[in-house]
Amino acid sequence: MDMGKQLIISVSREYGSQGHDIAKQLAEQLGLTFYDRNILDKIAEEMDVDVEHLEKYDEKPVNVLFSRRVGEHTNSMEEHIAQMQFSYLKKKAESGESFVVVGRCAETVLRGAEGLVSVFVLGDRSKKCLHIQEKFQLTEQDALAKMNRHDKARKQYHNRHSNFRWGDSRGYDICINSSRLGIEKTVQVLKSYIDLAR
Amino acid sequence: MLIAQILAVLIFVVMFLLIVIDKIERQYITLACGLLTLILVFGAAMHSVPAILETLNVRGIFTPGFWYAAGQAEESSSGINWATIIFIAGMMVMVEGMAKAGFFRWLCMRLAKLVHYKTIPLFITFMVMSAILAMFIDSITVILFLAAVTVELAKLLRFDPVPMILSEVFCANLGGSATMCGDPPNIIVGTSLGLSFADFLTNTGLIAGIGLILVVAYFFLVYHKELAAGGEEIDFSAIPDPSEAITNKRDFIISCIIFGCAVAMLVTHAQTGLTVAFIGLVIAIVTLAASGKYALELLKKVDYKTLLFFIGLFMVVGGLEQTGILELIAGFIGKISGGNIKTMVAIIIWISAIASAFVDNIPFAATMVPVIKNLAATQGVDLQVLAWTLSMGTDIGGSATPIGASANVVGTSVAAKNGYPIGWGKYCKTVAPATIIVVAVSMLIIFVRYC
Repeated sequence: MDMGKQLIISVSREYGSQGHDIAKQLAEQLGLTFYDRNILDKIAEEMDVDVEHLEKYDEKPVNVLFSRRVGEHTNSMEEHIAQMQFSYLKKKAESGESFVVVGRCAETVLRGAEGLVSVFVLGDRSKKCLHIQEKFQLTEQDALAKMNRHDKARKQYHNRHSNFRWGDSRGYDICINSSRLGIEKTVQVLKSYIDLAR
Repeated sequence: MLIAQILAVLIFVVMFLLIVIDKIERQYITLACGLLTLILVFGAAMHSVPAILETLNVRGIFTPGFWYAAGQAEESSSGINWATIIFIAGMMVMVEGMAKAGFFRWLCMRLAKLVHYKTIPLFITFMVMSAILAMFIDSITVILFLAAVTVELAKLLRFDPVPMILSEVFCANLGGSATMCGDPPNIIVGTSLGLSFADFLTNTGLIAGIGLILVVAYFFLVYHKELAAGGEEIDFSAIPDPSEAITNKRDFIISCIIFGCAVAMLVTHAQTGLTVAFIGLVIAIVTLAASGKYALELLKKVDYKTLLFFIGLFMVVGGLEQTGILELIAGFIGKISGGNIKTMVAIIIWISAIASAFVDNIPFAATMVPVIKNLAATQGVDLQVLAWTLSMGTDIGGSATPIGASANVVGTSVAAKNGYPIGWGKYCKTVAPATIIVVAVSMLIIFVRYC
C-alpha cells in the first residue's frame, strides 16, 4: 500500500454491527489516527472548554419542534456540535492527514476529498441483537429496543446532514455485512478493498 | 364566505406548521401562502378584486400621509404593512453601516473598560446596555455583538459567559418592548394603530423600565455566586483596547451621527409629523450616501429574506382579516371576558406571552392587531390599553424559551459556537421565571394605570 498518499476511511455503521471495533482495528492495522467521540475532546481542548458540556449532543438528531433558525444561527445544540465536528474533519482532511473516522456523516462531509474510501457496516438483525445482549447484559427485548432507538437516531442524524438516505448503498463505496465474516475477516476484506481502490 | 374562511384558516395553519418544521426557508413559505391567499381565498372563493388590492396595499405608499402625517393619521391595518417593511429595511442599512465601522464592538469594549473588567459590574452594565440599545436597534444585532464580546471577555477573564448572555438576551427583548421601533411586534402595532414613539415610551417604556430594575435584581440574585467564582489571575494586557474595534475613524463618526439623528427623528416624529416609513427611508439613503463605494456592499448585506417573510406574512393575515375570521376571534374574546377590560387584558397578555414563547411573535402580533382593533370597537374599551397589553405580552413572552424570539436563538447560537452549549433546561431554568415575573408585573401595572 502506498503510505505516502492521503487515506481517509469513513465508517458508518448500524448499531450492534461492531462497525466501531472494525474501524478501530482498521486504523490500528493501517497505522492511522482514529476519530470517533474523541473529536469532541480535541474540539473542547482547542476551545478551552469542558468536554462534558458538549458530549450529550454528540451524533444526536435535531428536534425540529424545539429548535429554530434565524439566518445562519440556530438554538439547536445538536446542530452546533455536528457542525463543529464537520469543520474539524474538513480541516484534518485539508491538512493532508490520513485517518479513520466513525460516523459523524463523514462520507458526506468529506465527499470529494482525495483518498476518501467510504464504508457502511451492516449486520444480521439476530446477530446484532445477540451482540448487544452480551455487551450490555440485556434481555432480547431490551436489546432490540436499544438497537432500534440508536439506529433511528443515527438515521435521522445522517439524513439531516446528507442528501442520500442512511445505509443506501449508492452513497458509499462499499457496504459490508459483518455478521458473515466477523470482525477480523471483515477488516481483512476492507483492507484488500482499500488497497485495490487506491 | 364559509369556503373562503376555511381556506384562509387552512393556509394560515399550514404556514405556521411549515415555519415550525423549518424544512423550507420561511420567506418562501409565507410568500407562497400569501400568493395562495390571493388566488384561492380572494380570487376563487370571494371573487373580490378590492380584497386583493386592499391586501397588497400598494396604493397607500403613494399617498402623502404614508410619508408625512400632520396630526396622527391612522394607517390602514389591513394587508401588507409597507411602513413596517420600509422602516425595518432602513434600520437594517443603518445598522450594517454602524457594524462595519466597529461601533458596537467599540461600545461593548469601552463600557467593559469603564468598569475595569470587574465581573459583577460588567454583568449589570451589559444588561442595561442591551436594553438601551435594543430600544432603537434590532435585538439580533444587539445580541450578536454583545454576546460575542461577552464570550471574548469571558475567556480572558475566566468566567462563565452563559449567565451573562442569558441576561443580555432577556434585557434585549425587554428593551425592545420599550419603544415603537425596538421590536417588530411594536412596529406593527404602532404603524397599524397610528401610535407614536412617545406613546410607546410613556406607556410600554415605563413598564419596561420597571421590569428592567426587577430583572437586573433577579438575575443578580440568581447568578451572583457563579459570576463571583471567576477572577483568577488575569492578564489585562491581553484585553484588546476599545479603539482597536474602530475600523475607520471617519466612518465611525459618521455612523454615530446618523444613529443620533435617527434616534432624534424617532423620538420627535409625533411633533414633526414624519412617519416611520419616511425616517427609515431617509436614514437608509443617508447611510448609503455616506458610505460611498461601500454602498452596494451594505445593500447586499440587508436581510431581504426577513423583509420578504414579512410581506408574505401580511398577505396571509390579510386573508384572515378580509374573511372575518379575526372578527370571530375578537368576538370570542369579548364573550368570555364578558366585556370586562381586566379580564380582556389578562387573556391577551397571557395568551400573547405563552404563544410568543413557542412561536414567532411577529406573525402572532400581526394577527392580533386586527383582533384588538375589533375588540375595542365592539366592546367599547380603550384600544391603546389593548395595544400596550399586546406589545408587552408578545415582546416579553418571547424571552421564555430558546426559540421564542430571534435574540434568544442568536444568543444561544453565539454561545454554542464558542463551546458553551445552552440547552432548553439551562435556558428556561432562569429565564422562564424572569419572563413570568415581568409579564405578571406588566399586567398589574396595566390594571392599576388603565383599568
